[in-house]
Amino acid sequence: MSTATVPVERRLRLPRPRIDWGIAVTTLLLATLVVVDLSLQPALADITQIGLLVQTALPLLFVAAAQTLAVLVRGIDLSVGGVFAVANTMTAVWVGAAGGNHQLLLLAVLVAGLAMGAINGVLIAGLGFQPFIATLGTWTAYGGVALMILPSDGGAVPLVLTSILNGTVAGIPASIVIVAVLLLAWRVLRTSRFGTQIYAVGDDEERARLNGTPVRRVRLLVYALAGLCAAVGGIMLAGATSTGSPTAGDPYILMSLSAVVIGGTSLRGGAGGVGLSVMAAFSLILISDIASAMNLDVWVSVAASALLLLVMVTARALVERRAEGRTP
Amino acid sequence: MRLLKVAGLRKSYGAVDVLRGVGLEARGGEIHGLLGENGAGKSTLMKILSGVTRADAGSVTLDGEPLTLGRPTASTAAGVRTVFQELSTLPQLTVAENLLYGAEPTALLGHVRGRRLRDQARELLARFGLERIDVDRRLGTLALGDRQLLEVVKALRETPRVLILDEATSALSAEDSAWVLGQGRRAAEAGAVVLLITHRLAEVRAHAERVTVLRGGDDVLAVPTAEADDDELIAAMLGRRVERLYPRRGGAPAGPLLRVSDLSVGDRVGPLDLTLHEGEVLGIGGLQGQGQRELLMALGGAVPWSGSARLRDAPYAGTSPKRAIADGVTLVPEDRQREGLLLADPVARNLTVGSLPRFTRPGGLIDAAREATAAAAQATQVGVAHDRLGSPVSALSGGNQQKVVLGKALLADPSVLLLHDCTRGVDVGTKAEIFTLIAELADRGVGIVLYSSDLSELANVCDRVLVMAEGRLVGEVPSGELSEEAILRLAVGSVPDRAEVAA
Amino acid sequence: MTRLRAPRIHLSTVSAFALCAVLFVIATLHASGFASGDNVRQLLVFASFVGFAALGQTLVVLSGGMDLSVPWLMAFGGIQLSHWATGGMPGGAAIALVVLVGALIGVVNGVGVAFLRIPPIIMTLAVGGLVQAYLLSLGLLDSSGKSPVPAAAVSAASDRLGPLPIVAWVWLVVAVAVGLLLSRSAAGRRIYAVGANEEVARLSGIDVARVRLAAYALSGAAAAFAGVILAGYVGNTYLDIGQPYLFASIAAVVVGGASILGGHGTYWGTVAGALTLTVLSAMLPLFHLSDAGLKVVYGVVILLGVWLSQSGGELLARVRRRATISPEPPHSPEVTTSAP
Repeated sequence: MSTATVPVERRLRLPRPRIDWGIAVTTLLLATLVVVDLSLQPALADITQIGLLVQTALPLLFVAAAQTLAVLVRGIDLSVGGVFAVANTMTAVWVGAAGGNHQLLLLAVLVAGLAMGAINGVLIAGLGFQPFIATLGTWTAYGGVALMILPSDGGAVPLVLTSILNGTVAGIPASIVIVAVLLLAWRVLRTSRFGTQIYAVGDDEERARLNGTPVRRVRLLVYALAGLCAAVGGIMLAGATSTGSPTAGDPYILMSLSAVVIGGTSLRGGAGGVGLSVMAAFSLILISDIASAMNLDVWVSVAASALLLLVMVTARALVERRAEGRTP
Repeated sequence: MRLLKVAGLRKSYGAVDVLRGVGLEARGGEIHGLLGENGAGKSTLMKILSGVTRADAGSVTLDGEPLTLGRPTASTAAGVRTVFQELSTLPQLTVAENLLYGAEPTALLGHVRGRRLRDQARELLARFGLERIDVDRRLGTLALGDRQLLEVVKALRETPRVLILDEATSALSAEDSAWVLGQGRRAAEAGAVVLLITHRLAEVRAHAERVTVLRGGDDVLAVPTAEADDDELIAAMLGRRVERLYPRRGGAPAGPLLRVSDLSVGDRVGPLDLTLHEGEVLGIGGLQGQGQRELLMALGGAVPWSGSARLRDAPYAGTSPKRAIADGVTLVPEDRQREGLLLADPVARNLTVGSLPRFTRPGGLIDAAREATAAAAQATQVGVAHDRLGSPVSALSGGNQQKVVLGKALLADPSVLLLHDCTRGVDVGTKAEIFTLIAELADRGVGIVLYSSDLSELANVCDRVLVMAEGRLVGEVPSGELSEEAILRLAVGSVPDRAEVAA
Repeated sequence: MTRLRAPRIHLSTVSAFALCAVLFVIATLHASGFASGDNVRQLLVFASFVGFAALGQTLVVLSGGMDLSVPWLMAFGGIQLSHWATGGMPGGAAIALVVLVGALIGVVNGVGVAFLRIPPIIMTLAVGGLVQAYLLSLGLLDSSGKSPVPAAAVSAASDRLGPLPIVAWVWLVVAVAVGLLLSRSAAGRRIYAVGANEEVARLSGIDVARVRLAAYALSGAAAAFAGVILAGYVGNTYLDIGQPYLFASIAAVVVGGASILGGHGTYWGTVAGALTLTVLSAMLPLFHLSDAGLKVVYGVVILLGVWLSQSGGELLARVRRRATISPEPPHSPEVTTSAP
């Protein structure tokens, strides 16, 4: 069939190539940074080295995942820092001190994370607190709990954890496997009915309700899951550093927010995803890795990260405004 | 035979009774038209049936059994499906996700089977002859018309017992409208009760077996469509107009006040020219959404526009509301709650917020005494009781809220007043007061541009009416020939092929 | 929950002061030294740091925004002052200049929020990051990571004038001025209007962008000044000196009864919030609460404070909800009869 005879209708039906620029830009950013880093440090092109780099990124990746979940339902979670710290200190103090069944105790840490997230969820979805305020309060409270568990840096992380993190699965460093598991878990969640509901609630709460979505329950579960992710982040840091710190979580709060926004998840909710934030979080880690490889001062990577955030968010705001301008 | 029976339904918002004991009987296998003027209570009735809004009193039964309403899920479970006029689809989700929302094909662990989902969505679209729509597109990227069609597809995913088409055709082309109504007919043939809410008499005449007319929150007429002629239906919808709703005017328009040429707002409105005279009430008519909002917003400096304008003898820039107000052009915006009022603030502050510079002393502090005096005087002029000055404006009735918005605009002492549908959702008494106020202002030489969705208002309050269609002025009804019919003829007659398109 | 009428007399401000007073009395009953002149002066100095950091935060929150750059601007205030003073600039001039530059950094925040439409949280986060980078690049911190502070700042934070420390006097004057600004001036009206409903404000002839710019500029200036006096009090300055004040500045605002959504609240409420937080942290050790317990109580108090002052917010939310389900939807097609 020659194209000249294709009727208009048929031509319209042809699938148009759809490029999601949001995803493309984030991928491009990560790819560029990887290439730059590899060209600066050829020694990195080795699975063990990459594994180590990924290991340093793990805590941020998980906190960014947590933050993404909250942002997807048009919220924010400042308490990730507190949950992170509680999980971190619990791992260093209780799990480390206990003999025997470390796995079960680690599970308990995860449950604690889930519970702390659920408290946020109850405050926000149940009692109607603004997410910012609710998690500002719980951030502090959880941070206090972490201080109770471990008043100053130290503790002893169970060797099991450290050895798992430093181990390999079928020749692949555990850290890479963990990231793969995170992404897989996200994929499962995203493609579940619950996943659709998360996006629906973030997209338009009223319409979601009109379609029969249990909006409150979805919110509550999302914050609980965010707590779980943040707790995993805390455990990862404990495993990587072999010690605990009651204030370790705080820097991750704003960094995770940066990662979420750079990745392209909209603060208006309903668009974006954990995959994007993971890429962006890894990009942030790469920036500091590149800066140290080039022997640059710390300030350069701090400035670069801030500028990156500014550029990405400005570009996206402008694109959004142009799109709005076209269809008012 | 299936029978939907609504009896004694009541609903009020604050002081406004929207439904005052509405009754309705609709049979399965038929399309039942529901007519009524703006504010008659059609939308509220539908919202109650679809579970979005809870009724204050009354009963709804289907085949003699009471329907549990009050939540969208409950209505859906009872087999009531609604095609909403305001779209209920989620723009960020894909077409497939939207169509099968809540009924996704899942695997053992709750994992949505993506391919099955898309296949089912395609099948569903094929069932309705809409194969051309790509199921993987984000819904928000589709044209508005297609989105409305998908609303219909979604509502008919499972066979409904009651199908509500709530102004579902108002944004559609003639072709798409016919398609939607055809789907309604098919549902009726399958035994469903189909309620067709519309503002188009012709649509009811062509498609509905029976019709119920609502007016002022009551059902005033219920007949087989064939047994009532258009005049009878219109009479039922309009009722007897309240005597002396529209005041007599004293003076006549004088010389030109605002002259606008080549005004355009993006590619949606214009280019158009118009002249407003001193003491003139210039009506803007036409079907909904023909660019009237943009025109008024542009004149008030609230949206960017191109073209040139002169106010009396000086050029008028209108680049921001601030400058427009300073030049003497004030806008009373369309949506008083979202655009007109600081809802939690007291009435007095709302009255003065548009004229702060007038009460500001050189040091930047507000002269509280002068402000209070001015607010009180303004409240008197628009007829708001002084003891309400301190209460939050949200506690006022819709009519009083509208008076506050008007008062705010008048306090800025405008020479041109732009009124966007300023009597919508306002009780009859307040309407009369507002019209009297408009007449007084015009007699004092203020030029008034008035857009109204109410034809009789345009015909009775204005000195002449300009009619808009698709962003342009398509005609003028001069003062001697003003009538609802003349305005309507221009509004629908000017776009013969798409007479019913209100995009 | 009770519905509040329009808060002409700001109940939330009164209750914040009441909360502070109750805590103070409890602490005094427990340890009489708590009410001693020295301790009160000490508390006032501590509270003033929060008070200044939260001053700009109040204005920004009232106008519907949020300023996360406050801690870095505080660090900037101290470190830049030290930098310039070490370079030979007179202390007074250096302080004035630091505050001015702080205002300019605030303007950058304002430009991003008002013109580029970047969400306030993100814009101020990024600007905070840039300020942090700049401070790191100065690299003049001594081996202990701290840098010395000029005498003018030290004296402002430590010397007394009559019964009160100088800084407390300054705070009082500023609080009166800001209170007047918000309650009596046209500028204050505009801030509230923008925070309550930006579109209504714009259509009422208010220059929304200018209001935003001004709020962020004042926030930058106030945070930089807070950094100056904090550095003066501590006697030296370091990068993380402002960190606790991100939390404290926002907490003081919300405990003071302001709505985080904007449009509702007062600076006097924030003053009460700052005093409450300070008294709370000073008294808890008396009850043998560790830092850890303090933090937990802190968090709970914030939630409780917001909970208590939520009646106003609840009303607002209800009003907004009502606005979305007005009897007739705002976009219903309107021509009531079809062609005859």
